[in-house]
Amino acid sequence: MTRRIAFIFLALVALGGCTSRPAQDTEQVAAKFTTAPLPFDDPASSLWNQAAEHPAALLKQDIAEPMLTKAGVELVKVRALYNAEWVVFRLEWSDSTQDLIPRAGRSSDAAAIQFPLLGDADVPDAAMGEKGKGVRIWYWKALWQDDAARAQSGGGDRVARLYPNAAIDHYPYEANPSARAEMEKRYAPARAAGNPITVLPGEGPVQVLVAEGFGNTRVAQTQAARGRGQWASGKWMAIIARPMRGGAELGDLAAGKRSYVAFAIWDGAEAHTGSRKMRSNWIPLVLRAR
Amino acid sequence: MARVFNWQIGRTMNYWYSEKRPKRQFGAVFDINKCIECQTCTLACKTTWTTGRGQEYMLWNNVETKPYGSYPLAWDVQMLNKLGPQIWEGERYTGRTIFEAVPPGMRVLGTDRQDIDYTYPNVGEDEILGAVERGGALGLPQQMWMFYLARICNHCTYPACLASCPRSSIYKRPEDGIVVIDQSRCRGYQECVKACPYGKVYFNPATGTSEKCIACYPKIEQGIQPQCFVNCIGKIRLQGWINPPERAREDNPVDYLVHVRKMALPLYPQFGLEPNVYYVPPIHVPESFTIQMFGPGAPAAVKAYRNARNDKTLAGLFALFGSTERTIPYFKIVGDYAVALDDAKREMMRVPIYEPVYVRPAQDRLYQVMRGNTT
Repeated sequence: MTRRIAFIFLALVALGGCTSRPAQDTEQVAAKFTTAPLPFDDPASSLWNQAAEHPAALLKQDIAEPMLTKAGVELVKVRALYNAEWVVFRLEWSDSTQDLIPRAGRSSDAAAIQFPLLGDADVPDAAMGEKGKGVRIWYWKALWQDDAARAQSGGGDRVARLYPNAAIDHYPYEANPSARAEMEKRYAPARAAGNPITVLPGEGPVQVLVAEGFGNTRVAQTQAARGRGQWASGKWMAIIARPMRGGAELGDLAAGKRSYVAFAIWDGAEAHTGSRKMRSNWIPLVLRAR
Repeated sequence: MARVFNWQIGRTMNYWYSEKRPKRQFGAVFDINKCIECQTCTLACKTTWTTGRGQEYMLWNNVETKPYGSYPLAWDVQMLNKLGPQIWEGERYTGRTIFEAVPPGMRVLGTDRQDIDYTYPNVGEDEILGAVERGGALGLPQQMWMFYLARICNHCTYPACLASCPRSSIYKRPEDGIVVIDQSRCRGYQECVKACPYGKVYFNPATGTSEKCIACYPKIEQGIQPQCFVNCIGKIRLQGWINPPERAREDNPVDYLVHVRKMALPLYPQFGLEPNVYYVPPIHVPESFTIQMFGPGAPAAVKAYRNARNDKTLAGLFALFGSTERTIPYFKIVGDYAVALDDAKREMMRVPIYEPVYVRPAQDRLYQVMRGNTT
C-alpha cells in the first residue's frame, strides 16, 4: 500500500512537472516545427508549450553612448515555432507598467530580435553588427500596436489618449483640409518628410531594420514581419515573426541549419530608447528538423 | 571626444566632434532692456511653425521673467545645479562645461525632462526678487528687480543636441550655421531633448520625432530676418552674422556689439555650447546675477550700454534694430543717420540716430490756455 501511494505521488509529481514546468533549453533557442497554423496573434496558444523555453540573459547596453547605466529587464524567456514559411518567436518578460505612447521622459515598451545577415562562419558583432557585416532586426513597438488598436476602436489619436482633457481652439490644417499636405510641412514635418516611424510599418506593429553598427539603423526595403504583444499582470508576451526566406536583403533561414539570434528589450517607463536598452549576446538558433 | 576652441570661455574644451565652423554663422543680438514681454514674438513663431497636433506645448520662442520664470520648468537652475562650481579666472572659464561634466556612458550632461516641466509656460511672470514686507522697498538702490528674457534656439557653434544624437539626425547647415533636425531621419529617442541645456528641443508625441527652432531658414535664405525678429514691437532684436573674434569686422553689427564693444553677451557661456544669440544684459540687475547668466563681461557691458546714447555709432546701431525686415550683414554711420547695408554693401535702410524731441510749453500763450500731455 505504501509503495502504491509512493508510486502515485511520484507519477503526479512527474505529470505536474510536464504540464506546469516547460522544457527548458539553456543552450540555444530551439524552434519547433509544426504543421498546425502558427499562433501569430496568440501568445497564450497551447502550441507554444511544444517548444522548449530559452531563458535569455540580458545585459545593459554599455558599448556605445548613450549607454544604459541602470539595469532594466534582465531576463527574456523565448520560445519559437516554425513552418515552411515563417519562424515565430514568443518573448516573455516582466514589466510592471504598460507604456504605449512616448512623451517627454517616457517612451514605448519595445522588443527586438536580431539576426546576422551572413551565416554561421561570419557572425558580426552582436551589438548592432559591424560595417560590411550587417544585421537584420525585427523590431516590435507597443506604440504601433496601440496606434492600430485606437484607429480601429475610434479611441482617438496619441495626443487625445495622452491628454484627454486638453482643449484646443483650432488647428489650421483641420480648418482647411485641402491645404493639409502643404501645411504638414510645418505642422507635422516628420510625416511630410516621409519618416518611416510616422507610418504603420508593414502588416503589423513590427518594423524590419537594417544595421551595420550603432547609429546607422535604417528601415529595410523589404518589410516581411508579423507580430503582436499582450500585456497582463506585469508581464509582456510579444510575438515577433519573420519569414524563413528573406531574400538577399533579409537573409534566409533553413531547417537543420544553425544560425544565431539576439534579443533586446526597452522599458518605456525608464525612457529606454535607441541604444538605451537591455540586450543579449548571440544565442544559437536551431530549427529542429521535422 | 575631440578638443575644440570655444572663444566664449577663452579656452579649448571637449566636444563630441571636431571643430568645423560653417561658412557663415547665424547670429543675433537681443537688447533685454527694451523687452516688455508682450509675447508677440512667441505668437509670431507659434502661428508660423507650431500649431499642429503634438506641437501644442512647443514654444520655439518664449519670453520668461527672470529670476523666477522658466520654460521648461527650471531649465537653467537645474543645469547650474548639476554643473557644480562655475569659476571664471578673468575671461577664462576654469569650471567644467556640460561636455566635460558628462557622466560615464553619456555624450553630454543632460537633464531628464518630464511632462510637468512643460505645464507652466509662464510661471513666475512679473514676479520680482525680494520681499517688500521685509523692508526691501525702503532701501536704495532697491533690490526689487526682474527682467524679461526672450529665448530662441541659440544655433550654437557646439550644439549639445547635435552631439547627443546617436543617429546623427541633427546637423548644422554649412551655409548659415542654423541647427536643424532631419525630420526624415529622427527616430524620436529624445536624447537631444535631454541634452539641450536651454530646453529648446521638444518631442512631438503625434509624429514621434523631436522638433526645434529652425531660425526661419526659408526666410533667412531670402535675406529676411526670422518671424520673431520682424514681429518684435519693442524692436529689441537684430539678426545678422557672427564671426569668430579673430575675424571680427567693425562694420558687421553683430560683430561690433559682441566683439568690438563687448556689449552683447552669450547666455550661460559656461555651459560650453558657444551659443549665437547675444544679449545686452539688463542694467538694473545685481552684477552677481548678470555675471552668472552672461559671464564676466556683464558689468562692463552694462556700463557701456548706459553710455550708448552719447556714442553715435552705438546709438545709431541700436536705432537700426527693428528698422527693416531684411537681415543686416553690414552697417555704417553717415552724418546723423545709421545705414543698414546688404551683402553687397548697398543701402537697405537709413534711420536717424536721434529722433527729434519736441517740448511744448504747458501754457498756450496765444489762446491763454494750459495744455497737458493727456487728452
